[in-house]
Amino acid sequence: MRARFWPEAAMVAVLLLAPLVLPRLGFSYDLLQRILDWGLIGLGFDLLFGATGLLSFGQAAFFGTGGFVAAYLLLHHVLSSVWLALALGTLAAGLFGLAVGWLAVRRIGIYFAMITLAFGQMAYFLENSPLAAYTGGENGLPGVPVPMLGSYKIAAGMPMYWALAVIFLAGFVLARRILHSPFGAVLRAIKGNTARTGMTGHSVPAYKLAVFVIAALYAGLAGGLLGVFQSYMPPEAFSLDTSGQLVVQTVIGGVGTLVGPLLGATIWLWLRDNLQQVPHIGALWKLILGLIFVALVVMLKRGIAGEIRWAFSRRRLASAEAGVPEEAGEAAVMPPEAAALPMQAPLVVARADAPALRAIGLSKFYGGLHAVEGVSFDVRTGSIHAVIGPNGAGKSTLFKMLTDEVSPTSGDVLLFGQRVTGLGPTHTAQLGIGKSNQLNQLFLDLTVTENLRIAALARARGTFRADLWRAADSIAPVERQVAAAMDTVGLTHRADVPVHVLPYGEKRRLEIGIALAIGPNVLLLDEPLAGMSPAERVATRALVREIGRTRTLVVVEHDMDAIFELAERITVLYEGRLLADGTPEEIQRNQAVQDAYLGGLHEHEPA
Amino acid sequence: MSTSLLEVEKINSFYGDSHILFDVSLSVGRNEVVALLGRNGAGKTTTLRSIMGVLAPRSGTILLDGTPIQGRPPFEIARRGLQLVPEERAIFGQLTVEENLRLAALTAPKAWSLDRIYEFFPRLKERRRSGGRQLSGGEQQMLAIARALIRDAQVILLDEPFEGLAPLIVRDLVRVSRDLAAQGRTILVVEQNVVAALSFADRVYILNNGHMVWQGTPAGLRADPSLMKAHLGI
Amino acid sequence: MPSAPLLLSQAFNGLALGTLLALVASGLTIILGTLGVLNFAHGALFMLGAYAMYVVTAQTGSYFLGILVGAVFMLVVGVVLERGLVRLFYGRPHEDQILVTFGAGIVIVEAVRAIFGANTQSVPTPSWGQGIVQLGFLFYPTYRLELIGIVAALLFALYLILYRTSIGLVVRAGIEDARMVGILGINVRRAFLLVFAIGVVAAGVSGMLYAPIVSVEPDMGSSFLVEAFVVIVIGGLGSYPGAVLGGLIAGEIISITSAFNAAYSEVMLYAVMALLLVLRPQGLFGSEGRV
Repeated sequence: MRARFWPEAAMVAVLLLAPLVLPRLGFSYDLLQRILDWGLIGLGFDLLFGATGLLSFGQAAFFGTGGFVAAYLLLHHVLSSVWLALALGTLAAGLFGLAVGWLAVRRIGIYFAMITLAFGQMAYFLENSPLAAYTGGENGLPGVPVPMLGSYKIAAGMPMYWALAVIFLAGFVLARRILHSPFGAVLRAIKGNTARTGMTGHSVPAYKLAVFVIAALYAGLAGGLLGVFQSYMPPEAFSLDTSGQLVVQTVIGGVGTLVGPLLGATIWLWLRDNLQQVPHIGALWKLILGLIFVALVVMLKRGIAGEIRWAFSRRRLASAEAGVPEEAGEAAVMPPEAAALPMQAPLVVARADAPALRAIGLSKFYGGLHAVEGVSFDVRTGSIHAVIGPNGAGKSTLFKMLTDEVSPTSGDVLLFGQRVTGLGPTHTAQLGIGKSNQLNQLFLDLTVTENLRIAALARARGTFRADLWRAADSIAPVERQVAAAMDTVGLTHRADVPVHVLPYGEKRRLEIGIALAIGPNVLLLDEPLAGMSPAERVATRALVREIGRTRTLVVVEHDMDAIFELAERITVLYEGRLLADGTPEEIQRNQAVQDAYLGGLHEHEPA
Repeated sequence: MSTSLLEVEKINSFYGDSHILFDVSLSVGRNEVVALLGRNGAGKTTTLRSIMGVLAPRSGTILLDGTPIQGRPPFEIARRGLQLVPEERAIFGQLTVEENLRLAALTAPKAWSLDRIYEFFPRLKERRRSGGRQLSGGEQQMLAIARALIRDAQVILLDEPFEGLAPLIVRDLVRVSRDLAAQGRTILVVEQNVVAALSFADRVYILNNGHMVWQGTPAGLRADPSLMKAHLGI
Repeated sequence: MPSAPLLLSQAFNGLALGTLLALVASGLTIILGTLGVLNFAHGALFMLGAYAMYVVTAQTGSYFLGILVGAVFMLVVGVVLERGLVRLFYGRPHEDQILVTFGAGIVIVEAVRAIFGANTQSVPTPSWGQGIVQLGFLFYPTYRLELIGIVAALLFALYLILYRTSIGLVVRAGIEDARMVGILGINVRRAFLLVFAIGVVAAGVSGMLYAPIVSVEPDMGSSFLVEAFVVIVIGGLGSYPGAVLGGLIAGEIISITSAFNAAYSEVMLYAVMALLLVLRPQGLFGSEGRV
């Protein structure tokens, strides 16, 4: 993520050359302006959909809001400055985005698309009927004035093109900064793995809402500009087709590239302007674009800009992959010792004698099923504590209650004497409980460094921060934390490799590394050895022991040899209840535990 | 081994890129009850899921009555007379008991009548109008086994049938399993309750960390406590 | 305050609109519930049904032939769409499914526009639906009245299919756990094909029935698509009873509101949806499971 300015430079060149070259190809100034306007709304949409993965069908609502608010203020002489009207229109769209987003971002996938579509449609009807007195209803608002620059009037044609080009360029630079900021890194993490992003301590709903509002602001500004350069605000801005057209343009141009919507708009609008008049194919251009759109989605193509970027990055990826030998030297990557992490969760010790983690009467009932019932135990500070039990004993449920992924039916979890029950996994992570999962929860499209950075950023920045302008890799303590965690799990030689090409054993270590990089005081490891080859097991056991030297560990694991070698204390669950709690020696001697594992308990129990 | 009804040869299975089963082989003869034991995480459930086709093994062969079935979709394997009773039971909670049974019987060539099933499980007859969600754990397990029976499945794969059930109910289900075995049905059972499993199994396999480490008889296993401790206990 | 007769007649209008919305939404919801796919082409398929009706009635003059031929045509469309396109997307993210069905919708709309032009077409009301009926409290167009009965009968037929046949058993089980349905020997893929086709026919038949009382044009489906979304958000995603009740509620909201102030009729529908999303996000009949 080195600061690279060639995309900005290229964009400047394109914007400068466009009015010289494109008019010969059938692009009028009006067409160029409309393309830039669609490109502008597309910048926000691409941050929302391309970067964060939120597919909205309601951008028209914000486009229209920005446009009509600005046009109304100008036409009713509330304001005389076009720039101020544009600003207020943009702000209004942002506020509307805040309201819709508040409802929409709690939902994912299908729900999100439906809700945004429905609110887009609601805005359309609002404009059309109840607010017709202000918006002109079906007639729209004609006669929107053009802006002034000092005493210079930015007239239609060439001057207006330059005004739009400058605004678009500013929007583009900002969008790129956002994408490469810590904020943008979290957005990309949300797209890659929403659950893990939350578990590392980022407030996913806050980030989603923020990017939703950003997209609404972009749309609002574009809407306001639409009225200004056309000197007419059309009601169609609010229509469903507007939202749909934006989606199609973005996919054709390339999702997640920022310039994709601009490219898509260029194709769409050029075809419309130039083919509309041709007698026999007049109506067919949209059909053909529709077919191309479907083909792109079916064949998993990335759109024009996406394919170009892919062709470039593939070369880099190929060289990175060449450096990944098959099942890279399993035993060879033994970590020497755990590097000290520069950023540690602040240690809030509510009571001096409090254990690191204390479960008090934890129960979880699902209907009539008692998954966990009345389990209490203490994890001593600095110890490696194991939780074992046969299948169905309730280990996973118990573990999820410790991080508050699952809220207990009754009972409490105390972290150094402080109650964490009911806070949710994001806040327990912020308070210093890290967890690695039984099934890897990685950000597969990001590199090893970027994966660890997501976790370290949560420690450095808290649950939410809108630092849109700085570079994601510019926070020194975060980079040191990433390096330390990477060193500890022995992945330094893989720093810039995309995670999806790593062999399984290394992915497994990265899973632990992410939990480590949030700087936890208590680290929970859910089956750290699951699915590993014998050689990898040896290495990972050493890693766990090493990590356990500097912090409190709680481990769920099936590998009994590993448990008895590592753990200082063992809690045994059986059928949701606490069966035994003691040192490895005590547990090994415990007849009830032996019976539970061999299934003999039923025979001894009275019926 | 031409007499075996189910023959698994050197299968390797993965979840994503995590290697779970390593060259696992086993065979189950006609009318035989075979128990597959091992600690959790050993790969027992994965073995059953691989046989049923829910998780296609990457390599190896699985023969059902001499015909290769590996790589076939589960519905085809079920129609050949093999039936998995999954660990989580997977009762359709929105359907009644009777609807669960009728659904299971839909594609079975020689489906049992409902009456015959109810004779076997009188409790299910009492509950036949109840929604699956309202059943107790034991009743759900009965219904799960009944769905395999109504299809007249030749080979039944039972995944932890006694998990999470009260001792009395386990005793009932052990009796049902013994009855099935006595009728000459072929069963491959995965169970952590070793005592219960050994009470009706003819032969035993032990899996450890995805490798088949031992096979023999229940008597042989009982006679060797160190074996139990090494691969099953703690 | 509007007069009682006006309210009554609007309530009746709401019933007519509501049953139709229920039929459109039920097709959408069973596809969503069973296949997990939100079909953005549903509105286009509604429109396609209306055009099928237009073509057949223009050729033969027969309403019943129109419905019959149209339904068969929609069945074929459904099968082709599932086999050729939707099937490829069962394992892909929801966003991809939405994009591809949205794209399919554009293609269908534009293909119809290319063939029939952008002008509106009309479908004649059948002879037995001509005129108006005096209902005591109001005069009501005969066909609209009959439509309520026809759609109610279709909804009942759909209920019978879903709750009284083996196909329905498979569909309802598939909504809960498609994998287990396969383990029990049922070809889930084929069941999915059938469900998709039923959903498409439901959308198409709705369009056919509606064709005589509206102008038939290529973009007529999009507003129905959005209203059907609202209906299933209200009723609960994937729930058939939810789609029926949600449809009736939506129809009444739109109609009753317009008795007070026509400008707010549609807006009120979305306001109710927003309220429900806050108070009961899973909808009236929904469980959080599938989506």
